[in-house]
Amino acid sequence: MTFNIQRQDQYSRGELLLRTFFGWLYILIPHMIILLFVSIAASILSFLSFWVIMFTGRYPESWFEFQVKFMRWNIRVNASIYNLVDGYPKFGLDHEHEGVEFDVTYPENISRSSVLIRFLFGWLYVIIPHGIVLGLLSIAVVFVNFIGWWAVLFTGSYPKGMFDFQVSFFRWSQRVSLYMAYMTDTYPPFHAEPDGPEDSSERLLDDQV
Amino acid sequence: MPDQLPEREREDAMGAYLMMFAAVAVALPLPIINLIAAIVYYFTNKNKSPFIHFHSLQSLLAQIPTTLMNWGVLYWGLKIWLFKELSLDQDFWIYVAFVVLFNISYFTFSIVAAIQARKGKMYYFVGIGAYCRNVVFASENNTKYNRGY
Repeated sequence: MTFNIQRQDQYSRGELLLRTFFGWLYILIPHMIILLFVSIAASILSFLSFWVIMFTGRYPESWFEFQVKFMRWNIRVNASIYNLVDGYPKFGLDHEHEGVEFDVTYPENISRSSVLIRFLFGWLYVIIPHGIVLGLLSIAVVFVNFIGWWAVLFTGSYPKGMFDFQVSFFRWSQRVSLYMAYMTDTYPPFHAEPDGPEDSSERLLDDQV
Repeated sequence: MPDQLPEREREDAMGAYLMMFAAVAVALPLPIINLIAAIVYYFTNKNKSPFIHFHSLQSLLAQIPTTLMNWGVLYWGLKIWLFKELSLDQDFWIYVAFVVLFNISYFTFSIVAAIQARKGKMYYFVGIGAYCRNVVFASENNTKYNRGY
């Protein structure tokens, strides 16, 4: 999985204030209304994928791509709402947001036994342990986001540590979501480090340089 | 022909028949959910290839009578138990039995069709299969298919 949000050198204070006071109106509500319907389709496909994997051992590739695009859309809306990126998140499954990178390698085969175990006991060995950690981290994210908001307002720059902490939180959550959506056989690790060198903010910054 | 079709195309064709489980997926026992899912699936996939077009159209058309009959049971049942406008009689149970048999047939043939589509084969439902074939393959202009994958 490749997940990254590129930290900007400078953030717009105007956009920050606009998002803070009216973001719910011009970002959250319009996106959520459409995403609600898309999420119904995603839920249906996710449910059906379980059965398809049980019988064929494969996640249908078109459905997989749909789920990735749906997740990408969610991520760019979240990144915007959390003030991690400037700019308006685009509507639609085929769009991307500059600075927000999310991709998942399509697995040719998915282990049926692993999927069955996840379906039956996923709540026990994935949801509960990761949920507890992510639940605690989410409290920290709220505070970090609040402090980051003031930092951006006064300096126009997001403190790197705070920014990376939030990105790490989203990366971790996304790994858990992918695993529970049967889109990967890799159990999500209890850390939020990038998967490899291709998934690091340094690479993105290097590319920029 | 079956071996020539990409696996992805066969999977997309198979998926059309699985839309009959959409209502189960969203845990809403409304007959209309499956039909909406089939319609959405048809319109988002019909331009990919003739094979997918055929199976998604056949799945959609097969869904229509099933949905109407299931709505009939729901409507009749509501008239009896909720609105108390009709009495519970033998006609109702005969209709329910007929609808149950129809649903079982529909379910069985759809599963068979899904398996055949996964194998890359054509499978024709009685009555609508030939019509779907004509709609999809009779047209000489196949350039509209973009194999959008």
